[in-house]
Amino acid sequence: MKAGQTRSLSSFDRGGEYNIILDSIADGVFTVDRDWRITSFNRAAEKITGVSRDQAVGQLCKDVLKADICEKNCCLRATMKTGAPIVNKKVCIIDAQGRRLPISISTALLRDRKGALLGAVETFRDISVEEDLRKTINAKYSFADIISKNHRMLRLFDILPDIAESASTVLIEGESGTGKELIARAIHHLSPRKRQPFVAVNCGALPDTLLESELFGYKAGAFTDAKKDKPGRFLLAENGTLFFDEIGDITPAMQVKLLRVVQEKSYEPLGAAQSVEHNVRLIAATNKNLEDLVRQGRFREDLYYRINVFKITLPPLRDRLEDIPLLAEHFIARFNTLQQKEITGISSEAMAALITYTYPGNIRELANMIERAFILCKNGLIEKKHLPESLFTQGAPGVDPASLKGATSSYLLTALRQNNWNRLKTARQLGMHKSTLYRKIKSLGISLPK
Amino acid sequence: MKIALSVWKDCISTVFDAADQLLVVDKDIEGTFKRTSVRINSADGSARALQLKEMGIGVLICGAISRPQEAAISASGITVYPFVRGPIQEILDAYLDGRLHLETFALPGCYGQGRDAGRGRRRAGTCRRGSS
Repeated sequence: MKAGQTRSLSSFDRGGEYNIILDSIADGVFTVDRDWRITSFNRAAEKITGVSRDQAVGQLCKDVLKADICEKNCCLRATMKTGAPIVNKKVCIIDAQGRRLPISISTALLRDRKGALLGAVETFRDISVEEDLRKTINAKYSFADIISKNHRMLRLFDILPDIAESASTVLIEGESGTGKELIARAIHHLSPRKRQPFVAVNCGALPDTLLESELFGYKAGAFTDAKKDKPGRFLLAENGTLFFDEIGDITPAMQVKLLRVVQEKSYEPLGAAQSVEHNVRLIAATNKNLEDLVRQGRFREDLYYRINVFKITLPPLRDRLEDIPLLAEHFIARFNTLQQKEITGISSEAMAALITYTYPGNIRELANMIERAFILCKNGLIEKKHLPESLFTQGAPGVDPASLKGATSSYLLTALRQNNWNRLKTARQLGMHKSTLYRKIKSLGISLPK
Repeated sequence: MKIALSVWKDCISTVFDAADQLLVVDKDIEGTFKRTSVRINSADGSARALQLKEMGIGVLICGAISRPQEAAISASGITVYPFVRGPIQEILDAYLDGRLHLETFALPGCYGQGRDAGRGRRRAGTCRRGSS
């Protein structure tokens, strides 16, 4: 600033001087007195809210800002009550034109030179551009409630609509907790049968006799306690989708019955004299390798080929480590909504620990870890101390799991091992250019076998 | 005709999209007004519009409302008086006396510069009064 300008500024009264300073700030700023009436309102605040300074000053701040939190969770009220500032809380306002705008707000107390409370100050900025970008990125990495940026999962997202469109039987293989039912539901919701029922049955949880009556239903008098007809899951799923979970666990006797149902598209309820035709799309899932079970003679080959028209293999979470931050963020958002909390994220140390873990329970285990952390973490970031002990007793040898650098090393080593140390294949799997991978290997000091 | 006011304590709730309480006022055949408090069941805009429609609401008087939410309610045949502020009884009296268009009942910045300026039921110099 030139000397002349400084002199001219000094000739302004204090209020005018403050207004000049406030108007030069890109963020919206307003101050309130102890009765929540606006005492100053800068130019950026006018622009964001669509309310002019003249209209705003003297009004209740809630009537001017029109934020979704104003009545029940007012940040200024919280700051006035506790004295603690609030920083970058995301809320939504409705401007004078009825546009819904996401903004980030911060609050602090306003005191005079003697420390007496004058009121509070709120600063806010329009984050609609950032939010739009975030939504675009999230949309790119999510598909019908399934979240991933793993290359195998992204390929699956591409073909899932085509699989759904067909009427073919689908077999979903994957470890427990990898989201098999989520995929089955996605197929159903994308299919022409989406307005019809989706019925799930866990084959592994029921003994043969019970499973048979569950699937096919029974007629009154079929057995002693059968007082009236009971519809089976096939009837309940008529014109819709029937999801057989843990199909690898059914007995050979049940396999024979199921083969008939799949082949002939009809079944006989217990005690019925006639077969009932069905129009049900079958989706089967297992956490076992059915091909191995066929080789061992524990699963019928003909049934395997009947249900394996299209096979989807879901990778375990340890093979899609790049998804852990995305999934963790997703679960934090979900639990924040369910539990009315304001956990802002995960510290880098805690994230490093999450990335180095191998997740035998897959995504379900990660969700449980975040849920557990929500019990211990009251607000702010989830720290290492909020995560279960078991996370720190396991880790890749030779790396320090407590650092992001260590986690990255561990991640790259896992991927390189999976690809038999082939760097081109590894780079492809990780969705990065091979020169980026070389650079990372070099910078992290990873030694490769010759 | 049933009139619904979105309320917070004894005033019009500032933001309809975040409001969860309605005061439904209905005139019976003897000409007396019957008041009922109703909870808004969903945060979803279409579900809120459906709930109002199912309750037989003809007029909604509310605070700030987002465009998609207002469009969904208007599309259900409900007349919306948006961006209103003030104590419930005063607002109800103003509506019944035809004074709801006055500046004193409008949220700051929402008087005379609404997006519907110059069309529909809007009265001269008012902001989006009674769009349907």
